[in-house]
Amino acid sequence: MELLQLIIDGVSLGAAYALVALGFVLVLNATGAVNFAAGDLVMAGGFAAVALAEAFPLPGLALLPLVLLLMAALGLVFSLLAYFPLMRRPPTAVFISTIALGVILQNAANAIFGAAPRKAPALLGEHLYHLGGLSIGRQSLAIVAVAAALVLAQHLLFARTQLGRSLRATAQDRETAEALGIPTVRMIALTFMLAAALAGAAGLLLANRYFVEPTRGNELIVSAYMAVVIGGWGSLPGAVLAALLIALFQVIVSAYASYTTATALLYAVLLAVLLLRPKGLFGEAIGRRV
Amino acid sequence: MRGWLSTGIRLPLAALAVALAAYPLILGNPYSFRLATLAGIYALLAIGYQLIFGYAGALSLAQGCFFGIGAYVSALLASRLGWSFAWSFPLSLAAPVALAALVALPVLRLESHYLALATLGVAQVALLAAVNWQGLTGGANGIAGIPAIALFGARVPDGWPLMLVVWLFAAAGAFLAWHLMRGLYGRMFHLMRENDIAATALGIDRARLRLAAFLLSALYAGAAGALYAHSEGVISPGVLEFPVMVACLAMAVIGGSARVSGAILGAVLLVHLPEWFRVLDQSYLIAYGAALLAVIIVAPWGLIGAVERLRARLLPELLPEPPAPRMTTLRARAGNAAARLLEVEGLAIAFGGLKALDGVTFSVRPGELVGLIGPNGSGKTTLVNVVSGLYRPSAGRIRFAGQDITETAPYRRARLGLARSFQSTSLVAEMTALDSVALGRAALEGTGLASALASGWRCAHLARARGHAMALLDALGIAAFAERRCGELPHGITRRVEIARALALEPRLLILDEPAAGLSAGEAADLRQHLQRLAQGGLTLLVIEHNMPFLMPLAERMICLDDGRLIAEGKPAEIRGHPRVIEAYLGRAAWAGGPG
Repeated sequence: MELLQLIIDGVSLGAAYALVALGFVLVLNATGAVNFAAGDLVMAGGFAAVALAEAFPLPGLALLPLVLLLMAALGLVFSLLAYFPLMRRPPTAVFISTIALGVILQNAANAIFGAAPRKAPALLGEHLYHLGGLSIGRQSLAIVAVAAALVLAQHLLFARTQLGRSLRATAQDRETAEALGIPTVRMIALTFMLAAALAGAAGLLLANRYFVEPTRGNELIVSAYMAVVIGGWGSLPGAVLAALLIALFQVIVSAYASYTTATALLYAVLLAVLLLRPKGLFGEAIGRRV
Repeated sequence: MRGWLSTGIRLPLAALAVALAAYPLILGNPYSFRLATLAGIYALLAIGYQLIFGYAGALSLAQGCFFGIGAYVSALLASRLGWSFAWSFPLSLAAPVALAALVALPVLRLESHYLALATLGVAQVALLAAVNWQGLTGGANGIAGIPAIALFGARVPDGWPLMLVVWLFAAAGAFLAWHLMRGLYGRMFHLMRENDIAATALGIDRARLRLAAFLLSALYAGAAGALYAHSEGVISPGVLEFPVMVACLAMAVIGGSARVSGAILGAVLLVHLPEWFRVLDQSYLIAYGAALLAVIIVAPWGLIGAVERLRARLLPELLPEPPAPRMTTLRARAGNAAARLLEVEGLAIAFGGLKALDGVTFSVRPGELVGLIGPNGSGKTTLVNVVSGLYRPSAGRIRFAGQDITETAPYRRARLGLARSFQSTSLVAEMTALDSVALGRAALEGTGLASALASGWRCAHLARARGHAMALLDALGIAAFAERRCGELPHGITRRVEIARALALEPRLLILDEPAAGLSAGEAADLRQHLQRLAQGGLTLLVIEHNMPFLMPLAERMICLDDGRLIAEGKPAEIRGHPRVIEAYLGRAAWAGGPG
């Protein structure tokens, strides 16, 4: 029974992780660059929710569209500062520029909100459902529902719409897409906005139960990064699935041992995966060109 | 005097020494000594980081963590066990190095971003351990009462003596890094970070280079951490937190990557930045982030790079006298008894659903000059990539000089004598033609960490390799370009530099991928003569070419690929008239250069 409870908690945490990992892979596929500030964007989304809730005392779900919009705008600024000036440079340059922006975001949040953890409102108010011996928070269910809706929306956007086809074409082969008349620069900017919005949503979802603080992004980027590596570099479904697995692992092992042990073990698993299956558990989606 | 200032690192070094000497004289208060001490510690940290980040070009995010571990090990041994500095210091170097070895082994052969993740993970775990393992580390409170550095039984007092001792360590570290990187070894790193595939094709083992740089970076970080613990007297888990890593990265980038002097300059500047901008208060990290972003966008070469660029404009570099050519073996290595040098059997590879190679079988005999032709997209370059080991075939075997090399790592194939060139330029723009060719000797010279450490003032490996390189440049008629940088050479010359570099390996087989592409008719004819001379000297050649007038008179035998299959094989005259070859070419595109 206790395990079942933990699984429910793990899935709700994993659903939020999945949004972060998804944003990370979208940017990775579109630009070939690692967005090291993906975790800090989640933190920014969390603080955006905290600030909005102070201005408008509404449930989290009502704030979600506002957070998505604000974060999309931040994503655009982010791409203008950290990606577009470095488009023709080696990927490491973008890695460093996103580290720099992450540092700026963290310390700006620290200056504005302080270092103490803050709490955002629950999506639909706080309530516990009792089912047999289980007590399930309404927030946990709402997190899973909202995250699933966002993942589905992203999937439909990419699979079913003309815009999604253009986004995919840009990610697959930028030069060919350009030659076919797709405005690839705009598509990449849009990808950054989408990724930031997903990260912001994750921030809103996490900032209720797990609080938000300026340095929170550091742990999140490790989890998202691991999810992307374990799920296969560049694979969207792999990243989502691996994010769920990682969260379950963290929650369950933390409950029986400690958070430190869980993190250390998770990291050992990651090294083992890299050693034995360097292309991730589900295969790498991005090949290397010679 | 002019030559003295216009090359190398003397100018920045001299400027820095003057600045450092003047510093305490002008601002001789205890606080400024403390800052200068901290700058020395960070300089040591950043010099170490330069080895893995600047020289090896791999983004490690563990430098802050190694620093913290060095600090904790030193603090624990000194304050809990009462060890003296002479004993605790070596252990605070060994601990991060051991951890680095453990982390690096699974990811060394992978892409660089995996190193970033692996190092980020270890940093996260170390921080959690320091905070939560309270019995050992004192938890969030950290460790206090760490004794000062004691040398030869005497305690080093705070103020200028401590500053001096720390800077002596930093200077020793700077000298060691500079010494390691100034010869052939440092140039191996340069090629690897600019073009790791070209480095591999010269028999350079990039995993080994990266491992050495990573372990050394951990060594420097451990030393810096130990000095920090002893000079501050207290440490907290803050030494393991991400801001240390960010500061170190910012120092390396802002000062100038792949320059020891850049690391020192970056450390001195960034340690003082919060002082100079007191208005920023606790938000000075925002300024670090902004400065880092600005430099990476506007001046990725950093401050030292900017100084060097300015200097190059004001004081044009005097070309050094090229070295005397050294007798070299232009001939192939001692012939092997095998009747076939290269044997390829049933080779297949697919990308997605596309079969790029589909059961290709052929062989090359020693001393032969074989031409490989085929329409665009027929799989020629893929075949070269499979034979040289960049791609792993899904089926088939490759034998070279009587040895099965299907599973052999690409750098080992190069060391066996399998050399290749690339379609697009694979030279480093800032490196001279001479040094680019000299790098072809690195594997034969056995250049590595140990030999770089032991090398004397004259860098024997580099001098020998340059002698060989000079002879090869001379043999290919481009000796006049020896000291010019590859980025400023005309296209026709760069192609020959690349061939000279491959020849420096003393290959048994040289595979050339479109050597005549982009050459004028005159240049092509000239190149053909050189290739003919090499073939007469006994070198085995496999030449891929579109340019039929170039290849026809050259090749003794030709093979033709189409759609990943071998469709024809024979003498040039036979191939030219072969119905399937004509169909393959005319069925798709124009017969480049016309069939004869």
